[in-house]
Amino acid sequence: MRPIPHPAPWRALILLVVLTATTAGDEPAPSAAGLADVPELLAVLRPAAEESTYLDIPWETDLWRARTRAAAEDKPILLWEMDGHPLGCT
Amino acid sequence: MFADPEIRRLAREAFVPVAGDDWYQRRRRDAEGVFYRGMSDQGPRGGAGGGTRQGIYCFTAGGRLLAYRNHWDPEVMRAEIAGALAKYRAMPERERVPATIEPRGEPDSRFHRAPPEGGAVLGVYTRVLDRGPDGRVRRCAELPSGVRGRSAARDHLWLTRDELAGLVVAPVPAIGARRAVPGPVAERIARFHLVDDTRGEPDHWTREQVRTCELALVTADVSAEQIRLVLDGRVLVATDAPAERAARGYDARLAGTLVYDRAAGRFTAIQIVALGEHWGEGRWSPGARPGRATLGVAIELLARPAPADLVPPQGARDPHDYFGQ
Repeated sequence: MRPIPHPAPWRALILLVVLTATTAGDEPAPSAAGLADVPELLAVLRPAAEESTYLDIPWETDLWRARTRAAAEDKPILLWEMDGHPLGCT
Repeated sequence: MFADPEIRRLAREAFVPVAGDDWYQRRRRDAEGVFYRGMSDQGPRGGAGGGTRQGIYCFTAGGRLLAYRNHWDPEVMRAEIAGALAKYRAMPERERVPATIEPRGEPDSRFHRAPPEGGAVLGVYTRVLDRGPDGRVRRCAELPSGVRGRSAARDHLWLTRDELAGLVVAPVPAIGARRAVPGPVAERIARFHLVDDTRGEPDHWTREQVRTCELALVTADVSAEQIRLVLDGRVLVATDAPAERAARGYDARLAGTLVYDRAAGRFTAIQIVALGEHWGEGRWSPGARPGRATLGVAIELLARPAPADLVPPQGARDPHDYFGQ
């Protein structure tokens, strides 16, 4: 009985190279749908009103200015201090 | 916490509210840093070993701590803030209000940031998305249990005066002409602003982790009054190569419009969106959705930045790296 011939290793290598060359650069555009309407997508991405209620507060971003105002207005200071600026991070 | 209406009312009416980034404040060696550490040292979070001091502080203009807490339950914080106010009002005036506020002196330039002179401030909003029945992207109505970050994350992109000028070449290219977005700008967008920061401070991408960055500007329309450019491209950022095996990454297509007013010599509109699949989570931002999911980023010019918009970009902690110097 004749042995079942194994494909020559070089044939498998050529096939691999051909397949790789064929598929490289042909990746489907990930989630391209939606980019056609930039204004609509902007509206989806911008913070919603209910996500921005903390901006109703007139935050100072300068501690010295806050101190000067607090002394002039006889008010205590409320400092929201986070790692990652709370007004400019998450 | 600041969604609570009573806390907002107290902050607006009874306090001088100020927000800051502890990363800068605990490090700076100027009068502001000395004051901040002196005030926060009175609290339980003394910043041992240079660690974080983040939280909500109530104190007098002279630096006497009234209350400190870092709690997200509005009921707890309402009581804390109200208690601080009561304490303040019970103090004699000479203890509440200092006779003078000492000069602030020169800021520690290593930890002081300001938008580039003549440059631009752009708002950056990042949001996890899913798709509705019609296939259109939408805000996530809810997230799986254990997954966080449904709100839009905020950051800012700073562009210098020279970088803005570099977006509009002279003579104006012909309609349809295509050219690459200048390298430093493209790299800044890819490394520092196409990242999932919806659950906390992100790990920004290193230069090596930018696997693909192909951003181009196409001249779409030219008139005596204005030049309109269209931006398109693709960015692939991933912690490892090949990207398919990376622990974390983002594969996004970008589109946008830039409008330049020729008489005024400035951009009147820059609107860019990125849309694609992201995966993985950073060191400080656990709780990502499993597998690959849709993430969107919007970048738009702020014509009249509010004080809150002058907060430096998260990536500007190392300004040389941020500006590609």
